Amino acid sequence: MSELTVMLQQIESGDAQAASRLLPLVYDELRRLAAWRLANEKPGQTLQATALVHEAYLRLVGKDDPQWNGRRHFFGAAAEAMRRILVENARRKKRLKHGGHLERVDADDVDLPAPMPDDDLLAMDEALDRLAGVDPRAAEVVKLCFFVGLTQEQAAEQLDVSVATIERTWSFARAWLFREIQRQRNPSV
Amino acid sequence: MGTGGVRDGIGRMKAEERIKEIFAQALERKSPAEREKYLAEACQGDQELRREIESLLRAGEQAGDFLGQTMRIPGADMVTERTGTMIGRYKLLQKIGEGGFGAVYMAEQTEPVQRKVALKIIKAGMDTREVIARFEAERQALALMDHPNIAKVLDAGATEAGRPYFVMELVNGIPITDYCDRGQLSTADRLQLFIKVCHAVQHAHQKGIIHRDIKPNNVLVTLHDGEPVPKVIDFGIAKALGQKLTEKTLFTAFQHMIGTPAYMSPEQAELSGLDIDTRADIYSLGVLLYELLTGETPFDTGTWRQAALDEIRRIIRETEPPKPSTRLAQQLVAADVRRLHSKSEIREPESKEQVGASSRRLLQIKERIHMVRGDLDWIVMKALEKDRRRRYETPDAFAGDVARHLSNEPVLASSPSVTYLVGKFARRHKAGLCVAAALLLLLLAGAAVSAWQAVRATRAEHAQSLLRQQAEQARANERQLRLQAEAREKIMQAEAFVRNGSPDEADKVMRTMSPLLDELNASNAAAIYFSLGDWHARHAQWKEAATNYFQSIAGQPANFEAYDRLAPVLVQSGDLAAFEQLRRQMLSRFGETTNPVIAECIVRDCLILPWSGAELEQAGKIADAALTAGSNHWAWNYIQFAKALAAYRQGDFKSAADSLQTPLRDQGKDIARDVEGYLVLAMAQHQQGYPGYARDALTTGLGLAARLPSSDNDLKDWKAWNDWVIAQALMREAKELVNGPAKR
Repeated sequence: MSELTVMLQQIESGDAQAASRLLPLVYDELRRLAAWRLANEKPGQTLQATALVHEAYLRLVGKDDPQWNGRRHFFGAAAEAMRRILVENARRKKRLKHGGHLERVDADDVDLPAPMPDDDLLAMDEALDRLAGVDPRAAEVVKLCFFVGLTQEQAAEQLDVSVATIERTWSFARAWLFREIQRQRNPSV
Repeated sequence: MGTGGVRDGIGRMKAEERIKEIFAQALERKSPAEREKYLAEACQGDQELRREIESLLRAGEQAGDFLGQTMRIPGADMVTERTGTMIGRYKLLQKIGEGGFGAVYMAEQTEPVQRKVALKIIKAGMDTREVIARFEAERQALALMDHPNIAKVLDAGATEAGRPYFVMELVNGIPITDYCDRGQLSTADRLQLFIKVCHAVQHAHQKGIIHRDIKPNNVLVTLHDGEPVPKVIDFGIAKALGQKLTEKTLFTAFQHMIGTPAYMSPEQAELSGLDIDTRADIYSLGVLLYELLTGETPFDTGTWRQAALDEIRRIIRETEPPKPSTRLAQQLVAADVRRLHSKSEIREPESKEQVGASSRRLLQIKERIHMVRGDLDWIVMKALEKDRRRRYETPDAFAGDVARHLSNEPVLASSPSVTYLVGKFARRHKAGLCVAAALLLLLLAGAAVSAWQAVRATRAEHAQSLLRQQAEQARANERQLRLQAEAREKIMQAEAFVRNGSPDEADKVMRTMSPLLDELNASNAAAIYFSLGDWHARHAQWKEAATNYFQSIAGQPANFEAYDRLAPVLVQSGDLAAFEQLRRQMLSRFGETTNPVIAECIVRDCLILPWSGAELEQAGKIADAALTAGSNHWAWNYIQFAKALAAYRQGDFKSAADSLQTPLRDQGKDIARDVEGYLVLAMAQHQQGYPGYARDALTTGLGLAARLPSSDNDLKDWKAWNDWVIAQALMREAKELVNGPAKR
């Protein structure tokens, strides 16, 4: 069985150590995969987050087929990993722009193109943290649907709620985040 | 107000839930009037709540397509250079190529000389720190080299915006494969060109640079005074060895992934972080030669585009490509089929020229097969070995074999049957065989099998020793090298003495090895001890062999091969306590391997003798894990045998017998392994209560065993003696079991 499958089973049976190892594993895999895609895709083509995550999943899982419970841990981790990769990228580019030319280049940077301008992404990331404090599930829905690109049906399955709930949560989260970002930029709103 | 009270955690959550609920409901009211009405009801006068909901609703409307984007790769529309732009003192003329991060332009230089050059610059929008550093690294790498077949760096600089560029000699040529095809070059001419390319890559290696992306598009051929000159270009992803050009390994996440799949060596496709060394280039050169000879790359690249990343990796790592002559034969068949097929269709009769062209093509392929079959096949396949230790050590070694082929000398890659050696001799001296040659013929014909092996070992070791010295001159400790070479010379000499029937002389030489070995540092000595172990084993001196293998392991504890040889030696010499210790060590040191070939070796070695308990279980698990390699893996029959042996030891006799079906059905390639198969089958049948079948299998196995040591010219010759030893051990066991009183 693949390393990932074993890990997912362990997490299912409550192994906290396995849970803490999942994110780094997924994180690494996603970055490597992203780098490969970048180096080999023709310019102008889309790098789909969904495809990336699914491919990473297939690579890690190999021939096994963990039950859905296992998969949901993976997607949860993938969502977080994707988010971190994008946010780190954005932060790094910001630092460089602001005269950080003496910055040591980290060996593991992946120059992923961002889905939105760096400042927006960073603001969104912070707002997302705050949202998680207020409504954890809403934040989770955002991570799954935006960073991993799950459909609303898939997200519903992942979080074990109805699709209608996901729709409502998504609308709410979007509005909430948008408002939060606006407020940060312009406190008089 | 309702919610103005204490905001403890639960209270807050409830409030948020309400907000969400009302928000959702409000959204469903489509007309502003309805919404207004609903809000009034739901908020029940709570102004704060109402303001909250309304601000959310507003935000939702303004959000637009916030969070609706997907990730895109910046397109080529971001390039700002056009024809006529000046970069430094170079005027851009036209774009001639584009890669991941940079673009290459043809440019014109007016001062100090007027000439056209190639200018490579980072694409706009791609100038992150990391990319710039990589670019710099490429420039520095190129600047180190000075070879007629490598494109030279002429200049470097940066634009006002800080984007770096560098200038190279403009190579006005076409890919080597195209050049050979258009010019309809003969095989010999193609090989000559190829040799030059090898020398160029060798030069780079000696400067400490691995190209890592050798392919036809990076080897262009131009004409100088009517002579074709190949030039290797685009060291853009070259990695400098041991050069502290910039901090850490800048090639980062990209380093594993770079390269064109068709040309990528198995270790590059592995993505395991295994250090890619010069031998990856050897592999790519092998692919290039393959393509020059057959017109295709070893793996069918038609399906590359579609194949998922994993599939590509698996194919490169595990599938054995067809030999060049086989591939040509396939093309021949295909061409024939097409020709016949087109003949049978009712259509415009082909013109004479067309008919001529297609039959000329068939003739060409036939000629090519004739030239390629034999030496060239071996040479190419040696460069394409999955196990990089088995490839040529250096590009020059590779070129050397090709050159030897061209002048009809024996090549390293091959297996020397008498007819082969004599044939080479005859072709070199076409003016009739003289008496000396006839004598040589007789001598060789009369030699025993071990002499052939000695000749091959001698010659191969000699050549290897030479080649290794060449390659390592740039770095390793000179003295150590010399000592190693001396040691190898001595082994060679001893071999020669044995071959000529003077074992005492051989012993004398071997005794002079000890002071040499003392001087070599442990890991250098390890290789020599290993060779010594082999030498003793081949001469059935088991105790001495064991001693040497132990010492090799002491110097290189991670070298699996030494354990693999030691195991049967210990069984044969009867040192069971040491064997027990060794197999436990093998399990603990190498048990986690994901390499199915190592796995099957471990299982086989550990289970030469019965086992029990947790160790046996672990061995069984390793055998099972190896099975995931799949039936297309080249070592599948060995893996099956390992599974059979493990099953037998664990008492699952039916499973053992089943697993032996495939390997025994495919018998004939490896007599010792076939013998082992029959022996285990015999025991499994006996244990299941089929004494008749058991005796049949035993008889067959023993009958085959009478032909050991085998007289085959198997390229994997080095394994022969330890297969033989394992077969002996199993024979003892099987005979005792089956010929004893029949089991009820």
